[in-house]
Amino acid sequence: MSDLLTRAEPVPTAPFAADGVTISLAPPMARYSLRARQGQALETLLGVKVPKKIGATEGGIACLGPDEWLMRAPAGTSIPMAAGLAIAVTDVSERSICLCVEGPRAAQLIMSGCPQDLELFPVGKATRTIFETVEIILIRNSNDQFHIEVWRSFSSWLWTALTTTASH
Amino acid sequence: MILIHCPYCDEKRAEIEFAYAGEAHISRPVDPSTYGDEEWERYLFIRANPKGRHHERWRHIHGCGRFFNAVRDTVTDKFETTYKAGEPRK
Amino acid sequence: MSGFRLPTGGRVDRSRPVRFSFDGVSYTGFAGDTLASALLANGVMLFGRSFKYHRPRGLLAAGSEEPNALVSVDRGPGRFTPNLRATNVEVHEGLKAVSQNRWPSLKTDFGAINDRLGMFFPAGFYNKTFMWPRSFWDKLYEPAIRKIAGLGDAPTEDDPDQYAATHAHCDLLIIGAGPAGIDAALEAAGTNRRVTVIDEQDEAGGSALADPSLWQWLERSMKALNDAPNVTILTRTTAFGYYHDNFIGAVQRLTDHLPDDGDAPREKLWRIRAGEVILAQGAIERPLVFAGNDTPGVMLSSAAKTFANRYGVAVGKSVALMATHDSGWHDVFALAKAGVGIAAIIDVRDTVDADLLKQAADLRITVKLSHSVIGVSGRYGVKTIEIAHNDGTGIRSIACDALLMAGGWTPSVHLWSHSKGTLKWCDDIGAYVPDQPNENVRCVGACAGACNFGQGAVIDVLPTPMDQSRIKAFVDFQNDVTAKDIKLAVREGFRSIEHIKRYTTNGMATDQGKTSNLNGLQIASTALAKPITDIGLTTFRPPYTPQTFGALAGHAKGALFQATRTTNIDSWAEEHSAVFELVAQWRRARYFPKAGEDMHAAVNRECVAVRSSVGIFDASTLGKIEVVGPDAAEFLNRMYTNPWKALEPGRCRYGLLLKEDGFITDDGVSARLAPDRFHLTTTTGGAARVLNMMEDYLQTEWPDLNVWLTSTTEQYAVIALQGPNARKLLEPLVEGIDLSAEAFPHMAIREGAICGIPTRLFRVSFTGELGFEINVPTAYGRALWERIMAEGDRYDITPYGTETMHVLRAEKGFIIVGQDTDGTVTPYDASLDWAVGKKKLDFVGKRSLARPDIVAAGRKQLVGLLTDDPNVVLEEGAQIVADPNQPIPMKMIGHVTSSYWSATLGRSIAMALVAGGQDKMGETLHIPMPGKTHTAKISGMVFYDPQGARLNV
Repeated sequence: MSDLLTRAEPVPTAPFAADGVTISLAPPMARYSLRARQGQALETLLGVKVPKKIGATEGGIACLGPDEWLMRAPAGTSIPMAAGLAIAVTDVSERSICLCVEGPRAAQLIMSGCPQDLELFPVGKATRTIFETVEIILIRNSNDQFHIEVWRSFSSWLWTALTTTASH
Repeated sequence: MILIHCPYCDEKRAEIEFAYAGEAHISRPVDPSTYGDEEWERYLFIRANPKGRHHERWRHIHGCGRFFNAVRDTVTDKFETTYKAGEPRK
Repeated sequence: MSGFRLPTGGRVDRSRPVRFSFDGVSYTGFAGDTLASALLANGVMLFGRSFKYHRPRGLLAAGSEEPNALVSVDRGPGRFTPNLRATNVEVHEGLKAVSQNRWPSLKTDFGAINDRLGMFFPAGFYNKTFMWPRSFWDKLYEPAIRKIAGLGDAPTEDDPDQYAATHAHCDLLIIGAGPAGIDAALEAAGTNRRVTVIDEQDEAGGSALADPSLWQWLERSMKALNDAPNVTILTRTTAFGYYHDNFIGAVQRLTDHLPDDGDAPREKLWRIRAGEVILAQGAIERPLVFAGNDTPGVMLSSAAKTFANRYGVAVGKSVALMATHDSGWHDVFALAKAGVGIAAIIDVRDTVDADLLKQAADLRITVKLSHSVIGVSGRYGVKTIEIAHNDGTGIRSIACDALLMAGGWTPSVHLWSHSKGTLKWCDDIGAYVPDQPNENVRCVGACAGACNFGQGAVIDVLPTPMDQSRIKAFVDFQNDVTAKDIKLAVREGFRSIEHIKRYTTNGMATDQGKTSNLNGLQIASTALAKPITDIGLTTFRPPYTPQTFGALAGHAKGALFQATRTTNIDSWAEEHSAVFELVAQWRRARYFPKAGEDMHAAVNRECVAVRSSVGIFDASTLGKIEVVGPDAAEFLNRMYTNPWKALEPGRCRYGLLLKEDGFITDDGVSARLAPDRFHLTTTTGGAARVLNMMEDYLQTEWPDLNVWLTSTTEQYAVIALQGPNARKLLEPLVEGIDLSAEAFPHMAIREGAICGIPTRLFRVSFTGELGFEINVPTAYGRALWERIMAEGDRYDITPYGTETMHVLRAEKGFIIVGQDTDGTVTPYDASLDWAVGKKKLDFVGKRSLARPDIVAAGRKQLVGLLTDDPNVVLEEGAQIVADPNQPIPMKMIGHVTSSYWSATLGRSIAMALVAGGQDKMGETLHIPMPGKTHTAKISGMVFYDPQGARLNV
């Protein structure tokens, strides 16, 4: 078939703006779950530095656990699948969407449902955590900008929860 | 809502990020077929359930994803320590 | 009816009158008034009726400890809040409040007959009286008691309000913004600590609000705190619970005090994690116990001072004081100076500080030492009081319209006790005070026992010459518990205060005994002739004051109640009139009715379409786990019952997963994509549980294996195409995959593209027909679905839902884990022997399959059931018996697990768990159902195409 299928996203593609905060759907991106006993193995595979400390990010790669990294890259980026190595590379590009929460009230909005102390959450940190009952990966890009990775099926609930709270 | 120190993340995090996973230091036998019925019953079903210091497992399921061990007082609900899976009993 | 607004004084804004109503009568108050102060200023003394005896009640207190003046506030449909303390309700323009626990009106209340019959309602009355006859309970006693019981009316409509919530973190949390709390905050202001101060009142200040000499200090201090960037002050915020690790729950009231609340959230729940907590909750004055102490107009002395100094309201024109403590004297002096007439000071003590006597003399106040109040006359308001010398002589009356009680002070240790801090008895003040902390917390000010209010005597019941067994001297005003009820409990053998509390209900009302616990303890201590410390102390539990369900629920209602997971194709199903059902958290299309169809008709049509042409089904919710690494096959071999190592890349296998106890916990078809890569599927509801179980084994039992698990459930949208025309429909859409039977057999997987999108294409079937499951990146699910629908038009393609899926799989005897199994079913019980690798040395659950109970005869086994009347569809869950003529209770030998009408077969089919069922093929069983007992014969489970001819095409 020559004509490509179109994507359908689970939340509005138009940003939501409220006083002091905007919430928007980030463009599609490539996501890989990278697993290995040591970050060194991934560095050899990918030829880039990977963060060694849980919670740290470097060049779009976040260390989420002692043997787990999440790589986020522009849509269409492909990486070696590490066949035969003691490394697991799994394509999870479409598993989640990314909500970009931005503005002076961004941290306050996220703390409405997330138990992390965002006043002490440094820029560049990434962690899996929870928003009310929904698991998220929270990444702080700057003082006023966060990325929230959330599995697609939970995202419409999260969108409603964030936009409802933001409009209060 | 208690705070639990994850020995992998090396942070105290909120209880809602964790899942309880039963008594710790109960290892699956390398070859279960060598276990008699009573021995197997003990492995499967019999737990210490102490009043006081309890060795138990938790999983930082909404965090780093790791199972780890903890010593918690079942009377006060206070954690004495947490340590990585595979480390000796504390 | 004698309270009035003083000409000057108070913190109310006399330039801003507000109109409000109570029981339909319109009144005027001032901005800054509470409902209590405003009504008092209008001469209202009667606020409510008591819980048990329906006695007329007025105000006891001026704060959140108020037990009597419970009112309901009506803010419109669905916004009716019962049981609010009038002392905490801020008046605003248009406020509509009503009294409670009375019918037809507050003044004329039929329930008051209980008061006359009071002698018949001792402690334990209900327990004793309604025991017999047993059969009267359901039909008579309980409905009648329910009708008269309860405090206030529960709202019946949905609450239209919004509620907010948040987590918050601080280094220092100060609870209570009275003088002690403010001092603590001032000390921390300007440091680098994050400080939060919360206070339940509309204004910070606490007791200082009732002391004009502190107002300048208060203003200065609050300005300093408001200017400090590290200090956050939350007023109208009640810390209701103190939990582990300095986690405090608090509710902030945002709009109830506003005349027009717009659509802003009504309340906000704060979940605060604090490094250190300072409790500065103050102390509560104790009432005194004597006959008539609940008459409207009898109140705490400190409350009268608060009404006068904070609200500019006198509680009466001629006020008497009954004191056992110096603090009441000071309160009365303040009232006298504010212009309130003082009738007398009565003090039970023989001597008091000379300075008090001098001040009283200077103010020309009559003083009666060694005397007690022994009676109060006036049903709806104090008219006179009777006093007597402590020796019982000298009984005389004093005319007054309000009587103040000064019984000493009880530190508010509620939150301290929530935090599991210990308490110690302090004889000096006759109360428990904080001792050893259990968290990083300390108490300051009056709640630490530092009540600098003078001296006092601690006394259980005031001396009286009357027969104590005939008077009503109230201890717990809200639950109508009297001193004689507590003495009765002791006489009847109750020794522990925990038991006395439950028997008498002392301290068990919504105020949790803020004003009654200590008096109850004193009375029990005297009755038991034991020191107070020997009879124990009841436990304070959250909430400190009642909170709304709305605040605790937050926005978790309607669309935000719980995340409903939806697939990429869900929106198409919704647009095409699907009827949905919830499976775990997922919303799934159950069937797609056409105009005029009921479920039965729609499912019959969908079933026939799949068997005769092609059906399309959204299978995206199936759990998926990608298992990757050199040890992937070894890992799966250990987890699943069947062998996995020899599975060739490109092929699929049915996997059966047991728990270590040998019982089936999940199943699914999985594919080997490469030597070190598998694509597992799980049941929809089992996805998270299976991944957790596998992670558990991998991380803790076999950490040496080089394999990793990744949930890919949401990476793929999955479209199942099932039916004899599935291949023909799919062929023109697929690139790079040979769909022929030879190149792509049943139970195989191929990777390629469909409509230009990469796909993992499974040839699998849960229907018994030629079938494919097309996995594509999730975002393209709906678009692909629509393309296939368009292409499938020529085959009359039919979308089907979970109900049809269930029927089709049952026709083939495929089990659904969780429906046909219940956590006690082994592979052998389910006739899945073929899926157990006999030669495998080990797998999870294998050892348990040899346990004595598992190999014993007579276990419940999964079998087919065919009703003798083919038109009867058995009820799922119906019990099965061997002999319908046996006496009741019959021996039940199993139950129906799945049951459907099969349009394809033109009859009903069922599956059942039956004891020893596999050895009973052809036997007749009986299934009692409402109206009739049906008969059915045990059969095999494969009802359709047992040879699988339709699959291998």
